Amino acid sequence: MPRRSGGSRQSSKADQEFISEAEEILEQMREGLADLADARANGQEIDPDRVNALFRSAHSLKALAGMFGFAPIHDLAHRLEDVLDGLRLGRVSIEGPALERIDDAVKLFAAQLGLVGDEEGLARSRTAIEELTASIQQVIEGEPSGGDGFDSLDLDPSLLRALTEYEEHRLRESLRRGRHIVLVDATFEIVSFEEGLQEISSTLREVGEVLSTLPAPGEAPDSQIRFSLLAATDVPASELGTRLPGGEPSVRVVSSPGAPSPAKPKRRAPEIEPEGGVEDAPAAGADPGAMESLKSISDTVRVDIRKLDDLMNLVGELVIQRGAIGDLISRLVSQPGTARVGNDLAKVHKAIDRKLRELQSAVLDVRMVPLRQVFEKVSRVVRGLRRDLGKDVRLEIRGADTELDKLIVESLVDPLMHVVRNALDHAIEPVDERVAAGKDPEGRIRIEALQRGNHVVIEVADDGRGIDLAALRARAEQRGLVEADETLSDKEIRDLVFAPGISTRSEVTETSGRGVGMDVVRNNLTALGGIVNVDSLEGRGTTIAMTLPITLAIIQSLIVSVGRQRYAIPLNAVLETLLIEASEIQRSEGRELLNLRGEALVLRRLATEFDLPSAPSGDEKLFAVVVGMGELRVGLLVERLEGQQDTVIKPIQGPVQAVRGIAGATELGDQDPVLVLDVAALVEDAFRRREAA
Amino acid sequence: MSTAGPVPDSVTTDRWDTLARAAARGGRVDEEELDLRQLLTFQVDGAPYALPVERVREIVRMRPITPVPRVPVEVRGVISLRGEIVQVVDLRMRLGLPAIEPLRSSRIVVVHGESGQVAGVLVDAVTAVLRVPPDSIVAAAAGESGAVEALCPRGEDFVSLIDLNRVLEIDAGS
Repeated sequence: MPRRSGGSRQSSKADQEFISEAEEILEQMREGLADLADARANGQEIDPDRVNALFRSAHSLKALAGMFGFAPIHDLAHRLEDVLDGLRLGRVSIEGPALERIDDAVKLFAAQLGLVGDEEGLARSRTAIEELTASIQQVIEGEPSGGDGFDSLDLDPSLLRALTEYEEHRLRESLRRGRHIVLVDATFEIVSFEEGLQEISSTLREVGEVLSTLPAPGEAPDSQIRFSLLAATDVPASELGTRLPGGEPSVRVVSSPGAPSPAKPKRRAPEIEPEGGVEDAPAAGADPGAMESLKSISDTVRVDIRKLDDLMNLVGELVIQRGAIGDLISRLVSQPGTARVGNDLAKVHKAIDRKLRELQSAVLDVRMVPLRQVFEKVSRVVRGLRRDLGKDVRLEIRGADTELDKLIVESLVDPLMHVVRNALDHAIEPVDERVAAGKDPEGRIRIEALQRGNHVVIEVADDGRGIDLAALRARAEQRGLVEADETLSDKEIRDLVFAPGISTRSEVTETSGRGVGMDVVRNNLTALGGIVNVDSLEGRGTTIAMTLPITLAIIQSLIVSVGRQRYAIPLNAVLETLLIEASEIQRSEGRELLNLRGEALVLRRLATEFDLPSAPSGDEKLFAVVVGMGELRVGLLVERLEGQQDTVIKPIQGPVQAVRGIAGATELGDQDPVLVLDVAALVEDAFRRREAA
Repeated sequence: MSTAGPVPDSVTTDRWDTLARAAARGGRVDEEELDLRQLLTFQVDGAPYALPVERVREIVRMRPITPVPRVPVEVRGVISLRGEIVQVVDLRMRLGLPAIEPLRSSRIVVVHGESGQVAGVLVDAVTAVLRVPPDSIVAAAAGESGAVEALCPRGEDFVSLIDLNRVLEIDAGS
């Protein structure tokens, strides 16, 4: 370090701080430079991350120098940014003097730091800085900017113009490394282009690099979209053709390593040859269109679904906190001393509430995706299976635009696939059987989605053999699920397909045509807050209807309690609540009933259902929460009603997979999780199961 | 003034520890030492037990547990972990020991099972993280609960290595 002369200015504490920070940055820059120099010496590709890191260092140095008022250092750092930016984008060649100049700058910075506090010394070194700044400027300008070396490429100029600076750099770099440059044109259905594009891109990535993906110039039918992928590969185009997936992509060679490599950095490129070797250029008309669609693609942001989950959780928590504030406000309002503040606060609360709901629906809206992708997946599988099974089946899909929460859509794939597979595999008869039964030899499977209020119903209907009720019942008796003398309605028998013991056995599957893992399907849907129904006519076909909530969003719940336990009952399942006297409860066949406006309402005590300790039943008052599913009604007896709350139903994780009667859990204002009742299961149990007592 | 030297983050702390101890011995880094198995040890009914640390996600203090109906008794209920709802298995009961009221020292060790599912394991107290050479762990004859898979000598005592898969294999039928 140069000696400090007695100096006109003592180095202050602030200066010291500047020096130590700057030294740290310079150290990082020296390391980065050394790495780049090594890479260059070994002829390796330069690592963009390295250059970016250097760029950031120069930027920090500039900011630091600006903050402490060292203008010359600031200006030099600014020049460094320019040259590093040029390196990053390939405008400045690493082969040239750039690295040496950066190295000079780092040395000069270090010398400057030694002079801090010495005004005279700093003034003397100003010329050195100015000289270096100028010579760096020369490095930047000295590089060819127009002569891009792409004239020898067999490429549409409009396409070249659409490349970003970085993409140009990658193209130049690939040429320099002697890779094959190819242009892959492919046409996709608009509805599924993302998947197709993905497929081609990943194939290309296996053998090289996708330099750019652009909408292709030229006309495409309305429902289709064309893309051009500019790629650099290590394998020749002929081999590439055999690797690429369907969608009839065409591969065109743009440059192969045999051709003279044009991308060596040239000193001052001569005039660009006007459209030398470029042929078939429909540039004029296509260009604006291409630019436009390029823009629309970049308007979309891909987001990890987990980030959206986090966002939704946050909103969920806010909504819950809002509830707590509401409680506090009503306490304030109810007391004379604080009523005015309370009322003012209530107004603010209301405004926040409104915005919060907007935020909530905006977040939910972001998560909504159409069912189309899932349906496409299913239809692909059907096409494959159809071939394997040798069955003639037509698949009809309706309502693919219906939107659902992304997470629900994802979780729906397996159950839906299961149901459709069942229909194809078991329900639709072989052709000869169909002909013998006087049916159209071609079977039909219809998948239809439609929105009903806050739910989406997805129906899978087939015109196959339908459920053989007698066989199903026989199987259930064999498994001890049903007594031989038990009277069951057809619907009750049909619902047996969801019973765990039955569905996994293949015998029934073959005779009934349905049932592989239907209990699994049901469990999956229950976990999402959905229900599944089966309807079937022997010989005519089966319809499976899956009803799902549109979102896993916040729902209103009624909070009830039994003993010390609280439970949440989704409000959409609650028909009414009744305050009843114990003496009103009547008994029949061991069941408890209530005369509700002339009809017998089956009662279930939650305490008994869940084996909870509760107050001894004397002449106390109880609440009956009347819940319904379809035409079935049950009165759930609880001890207290605690009010309504916004709840977010969450799945329960842990060793015990599914608990019958529990749909999930939710958090109320405090940290205690509260279990959410699975009303559908409880109602069903009340009607199906024999009294266990 | 800027501070010197990077602060090792938690991921590399163990390695730093190892290197520091090696430095204290004269700069030799024992290669084997870097391969040691790390066990989280805890107490259940006065006896030491352990789990491989890689199965442990976090350790939390006792908090209210919401009982869940229709599950085996060893599942004490569910807790909320920053919005995640997770079942808690009482290791005492899983080992066939009598249940007790949670102690001041009781902790819930949050683990991930093989398939990635998360569960809480209730223990009487968490004691330490041990580093042991893999060959010092000896297989154990199956006990009644089937929950101990191996033993690891520690001075006079043995630390029982918990077979987490077995512990989390709870028959929902009861």
